[in-house]
Amino acid sequence: MDVWSSLMDGFATALTPMNFLYAVIGVLLGTAVGVLPGLGPAMTVALLLPVTYALEPTSAFIMFAGIYYGGMYGGSTTSILLNTPGESSSVVTAIEGNRMAKAGRAAQALATAAIGSFVAGTIGTALLAVFAPIVVQFAVSLGAPSYFAIMVLALLAVTAVLGSSRLRGFASLGLGLAIGLVGIDSVTGQRRLTFGQPLLADGLDIVVVAVAIFAVGEALWVAAHLRRTPLHVIPVGRPWMGRKDWGRSWKPWLRGTAFGFPFGALPAGGAEIPTFLSYVTEKRLSKHPEEFGKGAIEGVAGPEAANNAAAAGTLTPMLALGLPTNATAAVMLAAFTTYGIQPGPQLFSSQGPLVWALIASLFIGNLLLLLINLPLAPLWAKLLQLPRPYLYAGILFFATLGAYSVNLQAFDLVILLVLGALGFMMRRFGLPVLPLILGVILGPRIEGQLRKTLQLSAGDPVGLFSEPIAVVIYIIVALILVWPLLFKLIRRNRPAAAAVPTPADATEARARRADAGDHGSHEVHVHHSDNKERS
Amino acid sequence: MTIVVGYVPTPEGEAALTQAIAEARKNNTKLLVINSSKGDALVDNRYAQEPEIQSIEDRLATQGIDHVIKQPVRGHDAAAEVLDAAEEHNAELIVIGLRRRTPVGKLIMGSVSQRILLEANCPVLAVKAG
Amino acid sequence: MSSLATGLKGRAELGVALLLGAAGVLVFLDANRLSVPYSQSDPVGPKAVPYIVAGLLIVCAVLLAINVLRGGKGEAEGGEDIELGHPADWKTVLPLAGAFILNILLIDWAGWVISGTLLFWGSVLALGSRHYIRDGIISVVLALLTFYGFYLGLGIALPAGLLEGIL
Repeated sequence: MDVWSSLMDGFATALTPMNFLYAVIGVLLGTAVGVLPGLGPAMTVALLLPVTYALEPTSAFIMFAGIYYGGMYGGSTTSILLNTPGESSSVVTAIEGNRMAKAGRAAQALATAAIGSFVAGTIGTALLAVFAPIVVQFAVSLGAPSYFAIMVLALLAVTAVLGSSRLRGFASLGLGLAIGLVGIDSVTGQRRLTFGQPLLADGLDIVVVAVAIFAVGEALWVAAHLRRTPLHVIPVGRPWMGRKDWGRSWKPWLRGTAFGFPFGALPAGGAEIPTFLSYVTEKRLSKHPEEFGKGAIEGVAGPEAANNAAAAGTLTPMLALGLPTNATAAVMLAAFTTYGIQPGPQLFSSQGPLVWALIASLFIGNLLLLLINLPLAPLWAKLLQLPRPYLYAGILFFATLGAYSVNLQAFDLVILLVLGALGFMMRRFGLPVLPLILGVILGPRIEGQLRKTLQLSAGDPVGLFSEPIAVVIYIIVALILVWPLLFKLIRRNRPAAAAVPTPADATEARARRADAGDHGSHEVHVHHSDNKERS
Repeated sequence: MTIVVGYVPTPEGEAALTQAIAEARKNNTKLLVINSSKGDALVDNRYAQEPEIQSIEDRLATQGIDHVIKQPVRGHDAAAEVLDAAEEHNAELIVIGLRRRTPVGKLIMGSVSQRILLEANCPVLAVKAG
Repeated sequence: MSSLATGLKGRAELGVALLLGAAGVLVFLDANRLSVPYSQSDPVGPKAVPYIVAGLLIVCAVLLAINVLRGGKGEAEGGEDIELGHPADWKTVLPLAGAFILNILLIDWAGWVISGTLLFWGSVLALGSRHYIRDGIISVVLALLTFYGFYLGLGIALPAGLLEGIL
């Protein structure tokens, strides 16, 4: 496959006026929801799924790509201007970014974040375009046993590595797998978990599940814990950078990209670890280490680049293998299935034009973000003054509308409410939602691969290990599962002395807590809050 | 007897505060500083943050004024909070800042000061920014 | 926080363990009910995976119960617009859920324009807005716009209900 010519075809598709318009809409919408409290890209894509049924899949995905990158950018804007990171991956940006903003350098902080995001996003997308086809070439040679192993790895990795409690991660995964079981078994036609209810025979619509967990659950959760002390947003003009800032930013951008992309592409890499790594690296390499903690531009440039490169990296397993590793990718994958497109290694050959248009639109979206958002920064800051009642009522309204319009059944709304309550409960008791969504999406596919594998081996479990790749992956799975025990042993011999909580210590502390099975928010450590609670 | 001042971290609010301090010194009365937010949005730049409150605190303390600073966030608008406080403390005077009318600001600021002017049971002193 | 409140909170999380356990038992019983003859083409059958899922849920339930009793605590999810310092505000959440349920009951009979208006209006009020008339107008406009938007733009006919013939 010739990457270059496919990509050019992709650009041709993505640059048609209508598709370009959807890219612009996606970028604007994504930034807006990234800035707005309580809304994230995963929720937005979920809410938009039903609306986009009427669109060409290509246009819909071009819009989703814009939302994905836009949300990332919007998130960093809020964390710089407000010091309340919405997502764990912007925690680090908030430390230095907010200090810079307080010192009157908001414009430079926003500029280095935006330009860094652009650089990292563009390089990351280029790496995606190069690596995804290679991964596909490798993946199409794999059989059912290897796929089964890869999907198990993805599920376990997300469940065990991300989030702060492995136990609660697995509980969430179990619930997701159970939800995925509902409906008619595709092989035997048996009804599972339908309780004689014919409306459940087709299974739970993934759109309804995603909207319930991400939108309804979140809206109810936020409504129960509304922030009572209003914050100040630091006033900002048009972001710009001086020559000195450029000089101090470009290396961190590149290093951040190098950290971010591989971690994003790993099944459980996420954006959190590379942003911390980038921060620590920049602090060590900086000629102005004394500025760290007081607003060092390197501490914004590096982690922001890492964050965006990780976002691009995440799309590699999503497009090449059909494996989502974060919430937005999971919802986008659900979107593929609702359009009747089978995700997986065949995607590049069966839906080549769509995939390449999507990748091309990522480049376009990145550029648009830079061009549109630099001048619009002050406007985005204004968006934070939107009264909450409208915001959260709007989420519920559109969630209902979206879930209802899928089948025009009030029954779906009952499911929406029940699963929304489940989402609320999970947030209350610290059960991560990502394993649940992955369980719902990947569960049925894993079962399919498992049955195919054992069908080939006539029921002999040895069939599961019939491919070398599968064996290698099971070893990795075992390591992931055993790692915390090893970690505990190591720790016992070398008690950590973390007197001053730096991000590095926070990550370490978090890992330690995670393996102990109890909790502590690393945000607490790095969140130098200025907003003490007042009457 | 008490003087109530509606404070916002803007030039108008500062002017009102300065005026209120002068009045409190002149009459040797207690000063009640009200800075409230409806609390219905994530961001409210009219709600003073810790450092600002601290500097007011210092300023009042060095001038030797008997004072209380309150920041109610109860979902009421600023006018209601100021009027409530005036009622509760049996205020002899309310001091507020008036903003020069801009088309956008008129809608928000205008109604707050107007409501205080119309509904207060004591004299109201309205100050403009320097 | 008083020790009583902490104790109650710990016990509340046992409810999660109970839910997991119940879900596990349910999945197990449901799978048990299936009767499938052994087939060469499908040696795994439709029961194996449900059994595994049921096992996972029940093991998690037990471990979670132990964890909670030993003092482990789930860390409530934070966020930009969230303050975890105070207990859940049921006075906001329950009316919201009420508005939602009202919509479910009304949507097929009264139609989307009416039920959606009530949903938005009720939610806005539940969330603390006190501009009754302005909010009402916004709600009606939103419901009408989405009704016609879906019909004309997406070809999805939301139920007109009581207003059938008028819209």
